[in-house]
Amino acid sequence: MDPVVSDAPDEIAEIAEIAETSPPIAPASPQPESTLTGSDEAPAPAAAEPLAEAPVAAALIACPACATVNDPDAKFCEECGTQLGELVEVSADPDAADDAQAEPDEATSSTAAPRRACVYCGGSIADDGYCELCGKPAQSERDHWQEAPAAWVGGVCDRGIRHEINEDAMALAADPQVGEFAVLVVCDGVSSTPGSDKASLAAARAATAILEAGRLTDLADGHDDEYAQARWSGRMLEAGERASAAIYEAIGELAARTNPPSCTFSAAVIDGPLVVVGQVGDSRVYWIADEGKSRQLTTDDSWSQEMMAHGMSRQQAESAPQAHSITRWLGADSPDEVPHVVPTYPTGAGWILVCSDGLWNYCSDADDLSELVHRVVGSVGTNPVQVASALVDWANEQGGQDNITAALARFDSVVPTPAQPA
Amino acid sequence: MAEFTASVFQNEFLSDGATDVHAIVTVTVAGAGQAGQGQGMAAGEIIIVDTSGSMTGENLGAAKHAASVAVDQILDGTWFAVISGTDTAARAFPYPNARLPMVQMEPGARAAAKQAIAAFQPSGGTAMGTWLTLARELFQATPQATQRHAILLTDGKNEHESAQALSQAIYNATGVFQCDARGVGSRWQVDELRQIATALLGTVDLIAKPADMAADFESIIKQSMGRGVASADLRVWAPQGSEVLFVRQVAPTVEDLTTRKTMVNPLTGSYPTGSWGDESRDYHVAVRVASKPVGSEQLAARVQLTVRDEVVASGLVKARWSNDDALTARIDPAVAHYTGQTELASAIQDGLAAKAAGDAATATVKLGRAVQLAAETGNDEATAKLRKVVEIDDANEGTVRLRRDVAKLDEMALDTASTKTTRVRK
Repeated sequence: MDPVVSDAPDEIAEIAEIAETSPPIAPASPQPESTLTGSDEAPAPAAAEPLAEAPVAAALIACPACATVNDPDAKFCEECGTQLGELVEVSADPDAADDAQAEPDEATSSTAAPRRACVYCGGSIADDGYCELCGKPAQSERDHWQEAPAAWVGGVCDRGIRHEINEDAMALAADPQVGEFAVLVVCDGVSSTPGSDKASLAAARAATAILEAGRLTDLADGHDDEYAQARWSGRMLEAGERASAAIYEAIGELAARTNPPSCTFSAAVIDGPLVVVGQVGDSRVYWIADEGKSRQLTTDDSWSQEMMAHGMSRQQAESAPQAHSITRWLGADSPDEVPHVVPTYPTGAGWILVCSDGLWNYCSDADDLSELVHRVVGSVGTNPVQVASALVDWANEQGGQDNITAALARFDSVVPTPAQPA
Repeated sequence: MAEFTASVFQNEFLSDGATDVHAIVTVTVAGAGQAGQGQGMAAGEIIIVDTSGSMTGENLGAAKHAASVAVDQILDGTWFAVISGTDTAARAFPYPNARLPMVQMEPGARAAAKQAIAAFQPSGGTAMGTWLTLARELFQATPQATQRHAILLTDGKNEHESAQALSQAIYNATGVFQCDARGVGSRWQVDELRQIATALLGTVDLIAKPADMAADFESIIKQSMGRGVASADLRVWAPQGSEVLFVRQVAPTVEDLTTRKTMVNPLTGSYPTGSWGDESRDYHVAVRVASKPVGSEQLAARVQLTVRDEVVASGLVKARWSNDDALTARIDPAVAHYTGQTELASAIQDGLAAKAAGDAATATVKLGRAVQLAAETGNDEATAKLRKVVEIDDANEGTVRLRRDVAKLDEMALDTASTKTTRVRK
């Protein structure tokens, strides 16, 4: 990687290149849902490399969640009901999507580009950037997107209601085989700092690329458990470093600010029965068991966590004004960006949930969150994108005070763990 | 080519729980060109002159002169006709025995039309509905003329047909042609001519002195000939589940368009605005939307001007919910100004109606409020006209006394001018 980049599109291309092996959307089926790009110029084509060969119009839509091929004008997947159409070419490239929020005066589009669908009501987005039915502004891809690298792994990243921009980011990768291999990374940009949205996206993608690449090269080494844990711990530290480096590359001159762009980092690698989590900051990884005890697998680097360590109740600590002050982060001014790494072997069926505080703020305790996930699964089923989407909707219903990201991996069957005697 | 622009003036910030969005949309046309000059377009113009017995003398002489001046202003190539109106309507030009309902203006036709006008003889009564009906029939028999305008002059009440017959004639003419209505002297009814002008997308005005008639006719025809955009509609889209509270033109005059709505689709209403020259008109649009959480944004209305169903200008009215009082408390100056001007128009009309009905108390209150609003919104013309009807004790408080022996003409001048607004200082 030769990361000397000067302007945004190149930069995006660079990031996309890093993440080439893990395109964020439906890698099994490289057809774009459509080429809806809002009203402005087409996004940098380099960013959409896996999608570039697809025809411009009348492309069949591959469902991002289950890869079922749908009619070009379908709004929802016939098979699984996932909403189609809002995932556009720029889904490989959420940064470029600021374009969708064009100023109305400039929104006199001349091209008859196919209309994109409103994520709120399914109506179509007019050239002026607002829905023709409900009037809500079109969401830019950076504001709201979903990823589903495999049928058992998916996530949704959303701006929420109160924040003007989405500084959360996620990057996911997975093997099609359930439970075989997956990487889920969530980064939450520090909202007091401009450019944190770029920082978080660059970090999440770089980390996912490294972790995914680690699996490919290390696969030949076999599955000795102790060795695998050590190997993934090393990889996780490297992912932290690369994520931090990617932030520098992404933010350019902003790195010299007093408050440079920065973000949290929560990663989960699923390698067969082993789950390794890496943590900097206060995004979280939970094990949500179908039956039995659910657990938070990460420990926040936060003021409230420190207070809890000193005996303050969770409720009290997390409702304090300083609750969200984090004590560690990734970024130019970070005192310590080495991820805390924890390996674990979940038992039974359940979910690995990686999320930002935009979700857990409304439901912090693992048991409460578990109950919420079970309730959601009861109503939308076990498609991880659907579950993530429902969790995001729920957080928005609670007020959507912060950006919300929920990424899930589904363990359907009991996997043998080394803790159980063979 | 005509250029169209739309600008929106509003405070898009709503407080938590608020639902009503108000905006002023200014639509401006530049480079409109001349009437009937567009491809496949031709203009039509009909001059309707009251030749009833009451016109005898100075009025008819002035009307003949004014009609001749008007004929001079009609551009060559424009389809035209002249109607003399009494208790029936007669086509004065083209001559009654002519084969064509209307003819195209050229020097020979112009001279012949002037001769026909000079031959007007006063007789009979006044039935304006029949005049409008003949004008409609002439226009409809001349489909080549796609941009149609008439000017109607009278000096009296509509005495020789029922109000219902007039209403029916107006209804039938609506959408067929536009009509500016003028009253000369003090014996005509402002509300009758206003009814005609409002429905037919024209103006109503008082010509106090017969001598002023020619200049007025000249300017009306000039303006009509300067309207190169034959017909445009205002379209207002509002989101699903919302309610358009009203759509009003607020400048240059107040006209409530709400009842003129036809639906283009379930979310979009269309309001005819007639022809346009190089000019600017302001519209006040109010939409009630469901309240959204603080931080949400949505479009409350798309306000568009369309010509032959093509959108030529578009303004976006937005709503953003905020809990910042500094943002939400401010009322947009344009919205405030035109809200005041609209209330001013109705205060004047209500006050004069009460005065005419002998209800001095109500008239004093209403006209007092009008004085106050005229002062607040800087409408000096309204203030000057109000001053002729009431003694102003305190303009800021709106305390007035009704003048005795008010000239009828002054009341009518106030009434006809009530809907004229001053522009907001943006």
